[in-house]
Amino acid sequence: MKKLAITALILAASGGVLFAVSAAEKSGAPAQEPAAQAQQAAPSEGKPAESAAPQEVVCFESRKGASEVTQREISPGWPNVKCSPTTGAALWYGDPFDGTVPMGKMPGLENIPEGHALVKPRSQKLAILPMCATACHNGVGPQFTPPTLPKDKKPTPIPTMEGLLPELKEFQHGRGRIWCLDCHHTTQRNKLVDNFGDPIDFDQSQLLCGKCHGDKLRDWRDGIHGKRIGEWASDGKKRWFLCTECHNPHNVQQGERNRGFAQLQPEPPPQTPKGMQGMKHELVHPVAH
Amino acid sequence: MTVTEDMNSQAGAERQDTQVPRQPAPADPSRVALKTSRRDFLKSGGMLSLSSLMGTAALMTESDDAQAAIEWAEHFQKNYRLMTPEEKAEARARLERRYSEEYGKKVTVDTTEAQPGVLMGYALNIRKCIGCRRCVHACVAENNQSRGRNRPGEKIEWIQVLRMERGKFEAEKMNHGYPEGLGIQVGGNAYTPVGQVLEGQYHYTPDLVPEKDATYMPIACMQCEKPPCVKVCPVRTTYREPDGVVVIDYNWCIGCRMCMGACPYWARRLNVTNPVLPKEEMNPVTHYLGNRPRMRGVVEKCHWCLQRTRHGRYPACVEACPVGARKFGNLLDPNSEVSLILARKNVFRLKAELNTFPKFFYFYD
Repeated sequence: MKKLAITALILAASGGVLFAVSAAEKSGAPAQEPAAQAQQAAPSEGKPAESAAPQEVVCFESRKGASEVTQREISPGWPNVKCSPTTGAALWYGDPFDGTVPMGKMPGLENIPEGHALVKPRSQKLAILPMCATACHNGVGPQFTPPTLPKDKKPTPIPTMEGLLPELKEFQHGRGRIWCLDCHHTTQRNKLVDNFGDPIDFDQSQLLCGKCHGDKLRDWRDGIHGKRIGEWASDGKKRWFLCTECHNPHNVQQGERNRGFAQLQPEPPPQTPKGMQGMKHELVHPVAH
Repeated sequence: MTVTEDMNSQAGAERQDTQVPRQPAPADPSRVALKTSRRDFLKSGGMLSLSSLMGTAALMTESDDAQAAIEWAEHFQKNYRLMTPEEKAEARARLERRYSEEYGKKVTVDTTEAQPGVLMGYALNIRKCIGCRRCVHACVAENNQSRGRNRPGEKIEWIQVLRMERGKFEAEKMNHGYPEGLGIQVGGNAYTPVGQVLEGQYHYTPDLVPEKDATYMPIACMQCEKPPCVKVCPVRTTYREPDGVVVIDYNWCIGCRMCMGACPYWARRLNVTNPVLPKEEMNPVTHYLGNRPRMRGVVEKCHWCLQRTRHGRYPACVEACPVGARKFGNLLDPNSEVSLILARKNVFRLKAELNTFPKFFYFYD
């Protein structure tokens, strides 16, 4: 009887949490990285509350931590995405337009039919974005109530940008020639900034990146640079990957030879040919000259 | 019983264990129809008298085993190119029925023809490729390749990613005079050509890619304009479609591997064993000339995901590439991605000196 009661309690609690999350999503409030939560929850099996809920498979698309897709079945035997069992990367798209919205106006795309250029909104992915302009950078400054000094003399850690975004320690965009406010708006911190000081939405990051990388912007617009999925016809319906889905703007170069792209774990190699024990000979190949 | 054999036996009556010793051809033609190996079948068929062959229709109607009747008709269908539209529809229905039964889900076999005004082209940014092999595995997931692990030749991948050592430019070597083992150089030996030390590694396993001193080169079928494989095929099972893709009619392939010898790009694979394709991993959207499940003893290769591209979708490898190095489009459309690349970038083709005229272009910024 006691056991039953406990199980019921746990189930009720988990149900409550689920309800709260769904309510938060519906009200438009930022769900604090549900994907990450699911990933953390996935390995801990055996708890009755979690075994009751179906296990979610979340795979990342281009690089870890950028954009993710949750696996689900669109129709029987047809998932929206297939993930790699080795690395967890998205390998195959059953539905390329999952979770996308129209890109909006972009100069130079007048010939593309309405609704044929889709993007995945980035601002939902950025966990601290909604707080930026309300909690810290609201133009008010630190407030103490009552307006006195702290009581004890012990130093108190202050939350810094570096603490929130560890990659800022290795900030090397432009090799030190640019800094925060070259990209982020001075007064509206949940916006980026263009050359005229006007705000740019986080979902339109190409407008910001194109300020310096104009050649890349042109190639991206024409489909030469960057990734697109969907239909191959030049006027076809496509999902366009935004700059920050592949590149980390705070740490673009993560090594010497990475082509502006973070290093990744590769997928497993092919099977060894018949009659070969290993492929060591590839590594000790004699010098050809 | 190993896992593989178990899978084979599950995969349907057509998959027969190779370990069973060969029986002499039975006199009863209905039992002949149950035999699975194409070679065995043709051999025993030759030994049969003509009269039993002429009773095909009667056999098909009389046999209570639908599988056997399907097999019989499948063995005696024409080359796909010579089929009338009715025969194509018949073959399609037959395959759909058999695959649906075999894999336990609704399988569709598409027979869409090439669209007029389309010449498919492919481009790959060789400088962007980071060697992560996601294209390889996306291709396997899409195209129903054999994915066993126990016996050699059971795992088939159409794309190979080749790791090569990078060329270097060393300023201090600018005045290092002449040949030093590399032949006649102009401007000293400041450049080390790519691929001088390594001829290429396919089985590299680093923790993270891209590596500092490596460059990567994915290879697959180049869909040549003058394909050597088509030239040498003795039964004309492989041919070039009007939209430029070189395809194979698997039912007509005799597995002689002439095409594999002729292909300069190592793009073709032979199903040495019975293909291992788990039911839950099978992709049910297939094309007759594309990714429908293959049988043992036939050659297969990349066909630019005909089941997708004939309906406008990008090939699977293009959609999986995390860096967007792979581009696909219509060469006859001046606004397509590939046409713009050809107009704007530095483009080369692999082994261009062989005059196979691939429609797969490597480019760099």
